[in-house]
Amino acid sequence: MLRFITAILTSLSAGAIYALMSTALVLVWRSTRVINFAQAGQAVLTTYIGYEITIRTGSYWYGLMAAILSGALIGAMIDRFFLRPIFKRVKSGPIVMIAPVVATLGLLGIIQAIIGFIWGLNYQALAAPVSTDGYKILGTVIAFSPFNLMVLLSVTITMVLLTVLFQKTNIGLALRASAYSPEIAKLSGIKVDAVRTLGWAIAGAAGGLAGMLYVPDSYLHPNSMDVLLVFGFIAAVIGGLDSLFGAVAGAMILGFAINFAATYISYKIVFPTAFVILILVLLVKPGGIFSSSKGRKD
Amino acid sequence: MIRNTRMKRISIVSAVAVAGAMVLSTLPAQAADPGLTSTEIKLGLSSPQTGLAAASYGKLPKAMKAYFDYINANGGVYGRKIKLVARDDRYLPQQAATQTTKLVLEDEVFALVGALGTATHTKAYAAAQLAKKNVPDLFVNSGFSKFGDKTKYPTTFMILPSYAMEAKIISKFIADTPTLRPQASFLIAQDDEFGEDGVKGFVLGGHKFTAPATLYPQGGLSSALAEGALTSLGKLPGNPVLVLMGTTDTTATILKAAEKLDLTTKFNWIVGSVGGDATTLKALGVKSTTIDGIKAASFFPDAKDTTDEYVKQFMIINTKYNKGVAFDNVVLQGMNSAMLTVQALRAAGKNLTRTGLIKAIEDKGSTFASAGLTSLNYSATSRVGYNGYWFGQLNAQGELKPYGGTRKIYTTDSTTVDVPVPLPDTYKRKPIPKNGIPTN
Amino acid sequence: MHKISANRKRLLTFILLGWALLLIGDRVGEFRQYQGSFVAMYALAIASIILLTGYSGQLSLGHSALMAVGAYAGALSINNLHLHPVIALIIAALVAGIFGLILGIAAARLSGPYLAGTTLALAISLPTIANQFTILGGEQGVAFDIGTPPARYGEDFSQYKWFFWISSLAALIMIWMVANLMHSKFGRVFIALRDNQTAAQLAGINVGRQKAVAFGLSAGVAGLAGGLLVMLISGVSPSAFPLSLSFSLLTGAVVTGVYDLKGVMLGGLVLVAIPEIADSVGSRVGGSDGFTIALPGFLVSALLILAVLFLPNGPGKLLKKKM
Repeated sequence: MLRFITAILTSLSAGAIYALMSTALVLVWRSTRVINFAQAGQAVLTTYIGYEITIRTGSYWYGLMAAILSGALIGAMIDRFFLRPIFKRVKSGPIVMIAPVVATLGLLGIIQAIIGFIWGLNYQALAAPVSTDGYKILGTVIAFSPFNLMVLLSVTITMVLLTVLFQKTNIGLALRASAYSPEIAKLSGIKVDAVRTLGWAIAGAAGGLAGMLYVPDSYLHPNSMDVLLVFGFIAAVIGGLDSLFGAVAGAMILGFAINFAATYISYKIVFPTAFVILILVLLVKPGGIFSSSKGRKD
Repeated sequence: MIRNTRMKRISIVSAVAVAGAMVLSTLPAQAADPGLTSTEIKLGLSSPQTGLAAASYGKLPKAMKAYFDYINANGGVYGRKIKLVARDDRYLPQQAATQTTKLVLEDEVFALVGALGTATHTKAYAAAQLAKKNVPDLFVNSGFSKFGDKTKYPTTFMILPSYAMEAKIISKFIADTPTLRPQASFLIAQDDEFGEDGVKGFVLGGHKFTAPATLYPQGGLSSALAEGALTSLGKLPGNPVLVLMGTTDTTATILKAAEKLDLTTKFNWIVGSVGGDATTLKALGVKSTTIDGIKAASFFPDAKDTTDEYVKQFMIINTKYNKGVAFDNVVLQGMNSAMLTVQALRAAGKNLTRTGLIKAIEDKGSTFASAGLTSLNYSATSRVGYNGYWFGQLNAQGELKPYGGTRKIYTTDSTTVDVPVPLPDTYKRKPIPKNGIPTN
Repeated sequence: MHKISANRKRLLTFILLGWALLLIGDRVGEFRQYQGSFVAMYALAIASIILLTGYSGQLSLGHSALMAVGAYAGALSINNLHLHPVIALIIAALVAGIFGLILGIAAARLSGPYLAGTTLALAISLPTIANQFTILGGEQGVAFDIGTPPARYGEDFSQYKWFFWISSLAALIMIWMVANLMHSKFGRVFIALRDNQTAAQLAGINVGRQKAVAFGLSAGVAGLAGGLLVMLISGVSPSAFPLSLSFSLLTGAVVTGVYDLKGVMLGGLVLVAIPEIADSVGSRVGGSDGFTIALPGFLVSALLILAVLFLPNGPGKLLKKKM
């Protein structure tokens, strides 16, 4: 029984972090129709920045704010100064399909190399701001700590804020319109380019938050979030790349599946499980479990 | 036709001379071994400088280089300076294969020293054709017992006791300790050399675990999974013995999971020699209170034991030639191997060849001075270095102190089902040469 | 005038190239032979990407996994089935090809980022399967011994020259076959798929099937390259096929022109040269350890981005324009 509860709790914690990554990917997809493979690199970079600030100021919270802000800034800069020129130059030929993917892949490599240049490639530990000792319930300590609770709460609040932003505000409307139909949005007076950059900024901020929530339970090094990129992507695809709710739901499904498989079957089965789920969803409902539109329109 | 006899003689002699010169010029010149000049000996090392295992072993190349620099500043080896070419293999077998091949083909080193890891080095040994090219492979940093097999690895010399030896000695320790013997026991190990050699060793040592070993793939044990495993184990009565055989980062993950679940005092922790460096564990976030009381085996004096003459001397060299790097067990190990290398090179004499070097270690290796606390077992038939361990307990400062107060060293082998025997009281470790500079 | 057919011309070119490689192999030292083997292997792997992406318009990030499939198939057939090394290489290509075909059938319904992401997940998860089944040897892997050069070549015929011969020959033959294929009706079908799927469908082409076939062919080529790779490192293990390998192959393909097979050798050279260049730059410039070790990755990524920005259609087209 305890094993079951532990599995549920660790799945919730893991799923929450995947949700942040998948949300960031979905945000960028909806506003740019690009899968941002550099997302993992951005998240790690902003986490390093957060780490530096934490060390210098002695406070995790300052580090967290720094990570979120720098994430937004870096995300915006990448859209404005990197992707926009690429889209301008590459307009014809089949390379159009490949170019953004390849470009973000290249960007991932460059970001990781820059991190290596500045901080070296060793493993760092980042201490959590609240206790990481498990709660005691009915005399037994469970694998759920105040920190895990903080992660869950942060992610939930973030999701709520984002949903409100997208559904209830003018900016959110502009974001959705620009993603769905850039030409029409432009005709209605929306500054499509600026709005798209905003989308990237929000995604970058989400990545920064994800990193600062992930690293205290793991280690900080240039490749520490590569795995999150894959799981974030799978979660986004499972849930449907067009839906924020789907991103979160997909992340939870993935988190539960992986953790239960690992707990009850074997630790080695984590990646194959994720891959099998991905293939199943793509074969059965390619648009994602929660998407309303049929098929994956590019 | 030559009339004059004298002219005839000259022409015959010159003809013979020309013919002789032609013959001589087609003979292959005596090929000197690569990596050697009159002023330099080039040595090669492939080890993890980045990536997962760098947390444990990243300091190795610099430590060895520091010792070599010290020797170079004091005359080198018969006037030749030692140059160490260190390549990063990220603890990946395929990388080790290519890097070691580069060391042999491109850097053209004379010999390899301190190659690290089992999966890495077994691959590298084959890929770089070390046997065919007769490249000496000195003091490999791996406890894989098969490296001592001369037929499989003709140019290799082990230094570390094997993981099988370590497991046998841990078995004996558990059996001999009244507080540990009746407890349930479990093994959590890396799914490669540690797992296999270790599992084999426990079988040889006669220790039966309560459940089959939990093997995790290298780098595949996340904190969530560790928490899950410990939660189940934490429900068992008493204080189960948990043996951890893996690299430091995974050991740290497991210990931190225990901290989260408030299970640090529930278990009797035994960490393997690889993952048990307290300094690294602390750097990875493990609390001092957790480290206090963990049991571990070692074949060296503790790196913090400043009463040991080797530790003291190496610390001096470290401060001068390895600035900014804290002295720990890895640095100790690296400098020790470097000192053994220098003694091996000296023993091979001024006319240095690869074959000569290998023979010198076989003949004289057992007489070399080193920091290890057991004898070195090199001979014409044995490629085994150290063959024993002593058992200790870490304190909150991260020092390993002998369990029970007095240090008792046990020796054994990797293949027989037997009980390790204590080193006789008459055994004395060879004292360190003056100032740490070998004169053999 | 008697006109030599394009096919004949191609065959002649490849034979001449093979001859040139033979001569070069004799003249250079062991290290260059070793590097040359890698160039040939990478060229072959890049050809597989060009076949898939440049010709049939599908993007795969998982070719490292396909190479792994071929590699393990090859290694196991030598170790467990005790087959001749040459047969092992053929098996490597076949097994990977079949695997790719099945994958292609599943992936035919995907496009763009979905395909990219799925192949990404494949690239990461497939090597870990080696840890599941003991026959695959786990992290330690399976040894792959192509054997020593035949005695009739003499004592001095180094193992590395043997590698070079095998790599180059295998790469030449396979690339020649692929080039022929691409200039046949087969190839035109693929190009139709790439340029306009809807039009191709209207023209009666079974899009799904052709995409799967392209995938299978590409996988077969990649599988052979995988077999060559493990021959060079004397054994297969999961870590020989990291995700970064997929990225490198893609980089090589984009840099040398993803539409054209002609540049593959150049691509192979680039992939082998970059770590070497980074090595020498690193040792000359000095700097922290982090710098020297992260430099090759930086150069590869920078090259990729520059190529996409300035040479999206490959240098070939650029040269053609200038003429």
